[in-house]
Amino acid sequence: MEKKISRKALTKAFNNWYYGNLTCFSQEHMQTFGYMVSMLPIIQDLYRDDKDAQMRSMNTYRTFFNTEPQLGTVIVGITAGLEEARANGQEDVDDETINSLRAGLMGPIAGIGDSLVVGTLIPILLGIAMGMSTGGSPLGAIFYIIVWNLLAYFGMKMLFVKGYEMGGKAVDFLVGPQGEALRESITMLGGIVIGAVAASWVSVTTAFTMTASGADEPFLVLQDTLNGVYPGFLTAAFIMLCWWLMAKKKMSPLKVMLLLVVIAFVGVLIGFFDPGLNY
Amino acid sequence: MEISWLQAAIIGLFACLSSMPGLGGTSFGNYTLGRPLVGGLICGLVLGDIQSGILVGVAMQIVYIALVTPGGTVSADVRAVSYIGVPLAMIALKSYGLSADSPDGQALATSFGTMVGTLGTVLFYGTATMNLVWQHIGWSAVEKGDFDKLYLVDMVYPWISHILFSFLPTMIMVKMGAPMVDLIKNYLPMDGLAMKTLFTVGALLPCVGIAILLKQIVAKALDFIPFFFGFTLAASLGINLVSATIIAAMFAYINYRIKMLSLMKPAAGSAVVQLEEEEEEDI
Repeated sequence: MEKKISRKALTKAFNNWYYGNLTCFSQEHMQTFGYMVSMLPIIQDLYRDDKDAQMRSMNTYRTFFNTEPQLGTVIVGITAGLEEARANGQEDVDDETINSLRAGLMGPIAGIGDSLVVGTLIPILLGIAMGMSTGGSPLGAIFYIIVWNLLAYFGMKMLFVKGYEMGGKAVDFLVGPQGEALRESITMLGGIVIGAVAASWVSVTTAFTMTASGADEPFLVLQDTLNGVYPGFLTAAFIMLCWWLMAKKKMSPLKVMLLLVVIAFVGVLIGFFDPGLNY
Repeated sequence: MEISWLQAAIIGLFACLSSMPGLGGTSFGNYTLGRPLVGGLICGLVLGDIQSGILVGVAMQIVYIALVTPGGTVSADVRAVSYIGVPLAMIALKSYGLSADSPDGQALATSFGTMVGTLGTVLFYGTATMNLVWQHIGWSAVEKGDFDKLYLVDMVYPWISHILFSFLPTMIMVKMGAPMVDLIKNYLPMDGLAMKTLFTVGALLPCVGIAILLKQIVAKALDFIPFFFGFTLAASLGINLVSATIIAAMFAYINYRIKMLSLMKPAAGSAVVQLEEEEEEDI
């Protein structure tokens, strides 16, 4: 009789991944244990009375695994389908097929997931949420909690089911030409929103002025002049500087932050920056 | 601002749930509870000042808007940012008598939070290293075929790592924060060079957060155009974020349609060629 993974085992496998993909993280094995815990209900369901087959299949998933865990759900779904095929005696599905597929997918999925989910979707939601929380209202935070978790849960559930049902075809959409068109458009959306977030929430201003001797009013207020050229000029300039240092000069974010401390210190000394504080 | 041990302990518990290998899971732990905006709401609820909590959370959220952890390398730790940084910044604001709504208040919150967050990477590496012990137990369980033990390894034992590297450091730092902030305040006057630098750094730091994000989406110089388009919408035209998102969605939609059309073009092009060939035959 054709073996089929029970609904219960599939749900349990998904829940184990959804919750446990990174709970036992270490630099050495990363998501390997999350993966094993996720495959466990499936393997126990398929080979109920066959301990040897259980041992063999669990051994397959001891191989190192790490990707963007949310989008990576699709890989777990695909291996669930492959494991089912192996239980039904399909000879071309062995350790090597499964692990070369996992190794081949985890890189691209990590890249797409990091840029689309973590680098675009979450910042957009947070940007909107911050706008709703202006003045200290909890509304934005609540909006983010609800919307993000609904998207994450149902999105991951869909990826898992699609991966299981469609196998390798499920990722064709993500890495194929149509997926690329979609990705490029979403990245564009992300870029515009991030620009708006930067202009709304980041504010770098200068206190630099020049006053002619004897005059009461300064003849140059640099901040006003810059605003006349392009509002938010200094903010944009500092963002570009940070981007250039990290992307072109390969500096780590931490080093850039330390450099900003130095710039701030010198800037305060020469009067370029002055937060204008006193008791 | 007096913080009780109970309040500090609750915040410590959230630190356990929220960090990168967090016990709330990736989506709910790290990407929900770990975000400074959400941390601001929770610290605000626990400390009885939601408004300040949210304002501090928003200020720090910009720095960490794109906390991507490629291959598990971190430049800051969210549990430290959201559950040590936010409460300490709230205490500092109260102590200095600054409003969390003012630019100065936000700058102070940002530099306090970032300082703590950067130091917090120690907690991240501590947890991840200690998890190796549980994984060692896991490997021998797999070899023996004792598979159900994997649940303990993946979901229960890491609590021990978190009690040591999340719960205790957070609880102690939050509890001891108030006297420490008072000490700093007595030694560093607000109009002194040190505090002025600290505030300026606070205003500059969000640029790094935005730049990290840009690094993800900008491959060539032309990719900056969408960013500056959005920047101009907000800075020059004063359009708010929700409206800017809708305008952005329209452009993204047009872009998608154009891309899809150009994907279909090769097929359409060959049809035209075929048609021309047929016409020639007719003649």
